[in-house]
Amino acid sequence: MAASALCWALRVARQVLPCPSQTRSYYVDWRMLRDVKRRKLAYEYADERLRINAIRKNTILPKELQEVADREIAALPRDSCPVRIRNRCVLTSRPRGVKRRWRLSRIVFRHFADHAQMSGIQRAMW
Amino acid sequence: MWRFTAFEALLGPEDYNPDVTLPVHSSGAGRNAVARNARRSSRSRPAALKGRRGCERRAEGAMWGRLCGSGRILLLAGAARHCGRPHSRTQKLFSTSSVLSATEDEPTAPADSTTKVASKEGAAETPKQKLLKMIGDMKVEVTTKRKFQQLKEQEIKKQATNKQEGLHGGSSTFQNSAEDVQRSKPLNPELVQAASAVASSFPHNKEQAESELLAQLRRHEETTDKQRRGGTINICNVISEMTVKRQSPAQRGVRISNRISLEMDEDGQRIKPGRPSSHSDSGRSLKAGKRLNIFTKASPETENALKTVSSPTIWDLEFAKEIAAVTEQPPRNGFEEMIQWTKEGILWEFPIDNEAGMDDGAEFHEHIFLEKHLKDFPKQGPIRHFMELVICGLSKNPYLSVKQKIEHIEWFRNYFEEKKEFLQEI
Repeated sequence: MAASALCWALRVARQVLPCPSQTRSYYVDWRMLRDVKRRKLAYEYADERLRINAIRKNTILPKELQEVADREIAALPRDSCPVRIRNRCVLTSRPRGVKRRWRLSRIVFRHFADHAQMSGIQRAMW
Repeated sequence: MWRFTAFEALLGPEDYNPDVTLPVHSSGAGRNAVARNARRSSRSRPAALKGRRGCERRAEGAMWGRLCGSGRILLLAGAARHCGRPHSRTQKLFSTSSVLSATEDEPTAPADSTTKVASKEGAAETPKQKLLKMIGDMKVEVTTKRKFQQLKEQEIKKQATNKQEGLHGGSSTFQNSAEDVQRSKPLNPELVQAASAVASSFPHNKEQAESELLAQLRRHEETTDKQRRGGTINICNVISEMTVKRQSPAQRGVRISNRISLEMDEDGQRIKPGRPSSHSDSGRSLKAGKRLNIFTKASPETENALKTVSSPTIWDLEFAKEIAAVTEQPPRNGFEEMIQWTKEGILWEFPIDNEAGMDDGAEFHEHIFLEKHLKDFPKQGPIRHFMELVICGLSKNPYLSVKQKIEHIEWFRNYFEEKKEFLQEI
């Protein structure tokens, strides 16, 4: 009894401790939210799209079957196609100038790199 | 700049005259001294002559001097000198014949060897029989220290004469050197006969083989002579440099006392030195201590005891986790930090297991041989063709699990089932 109370107290104390990392409890803007939705849907429908496309992009199966498949894939929700996903900046939701490796826009990247908060990044000079 | 070589030690300190002493030292073989003089004077001589390089140049000069008479085998000999040359049949043959020639008698009379090269004797016997006969006739020569000293004296005389000759015939021409080659240090006539017999036994290129064999012989003779002359001196030098190691009486006493132990056991009996080996190795004795039960089967009683403990409740697990969370300390060093990360799953386990996290428990044949799933499909027609392509693609896919592959095939089956009426209309 006393031991469990002690454990609980310790855990609470650890949680209250300030963590140096940035924490966000919301998406930066609505566009980012929509992008998140599209990604989720694309993940769900990925297999189905793959299979229907396998039927469509074919020279063996009859054309009628392929036309049916065309119609089927068009009937899927529009956000399920992966083409609609945009690689936005994770911190600022900037759609352009995003480096894929860090998922950050160029401005944010530069900001962090100059403050020496990017591991392994230094100013190039040659 | 001038380093003392073995041969210089032989001659002792002399008045250093670069024009004259070089040929003296270069006559390691003592044969083509005049020839080499001519060569050296004609060539541009570098000022610094290191001992090692000098040996090479001497050998090279000897080679050149000897072979200028038989011009066609110049290149062959030059090539054969390199170690990296692949062993030809001639060289293989030579490895045995050179051993035999080492035991040969020393050439005494300066016979005209080069003329004998061309002549082949005794067409009555087959060359093989001749060769065997000659090998059988060869004797073993035992060299003693006296003979070595005699050789040494001979050598000194020769070099003295050569020195005088060098002074006079400094400007001799190529022809003179050629004559000197033929006169000086001839090969044993028996060896020459043996070489010719061996060469004749070759299927083709007899002349070339013979010339190669003779060149090898000459080279061998030269090396043996060099070793004979240089051998005694080197040994003397080596032995003189060695010193006798003295053991102090204290060290000796320590060694003896290590053998006899005066320690007493509890019972009053002396501990023999045989025992400590089993004790000292492990720190504690081998027989004491808890058994690990690695190599012996654990008794079935212990197994039963473990089974009864099974299935801890959720509360027990929670309690264990709480204790672990309370008692954990921040990592003291990088190793503990890495251990923590590995437990959390942030860091992979090393050595890296390529199949970590995707075990499946499925064998390779379940991934590759997927035709058994095609039972429900029609056996003819475009659908079958299409499904076979699908299966081929899936079998080559290493990223999917077997379940996922089966799910793909199932979906296709369902799809085509639904479209059956439609397909039949077509």
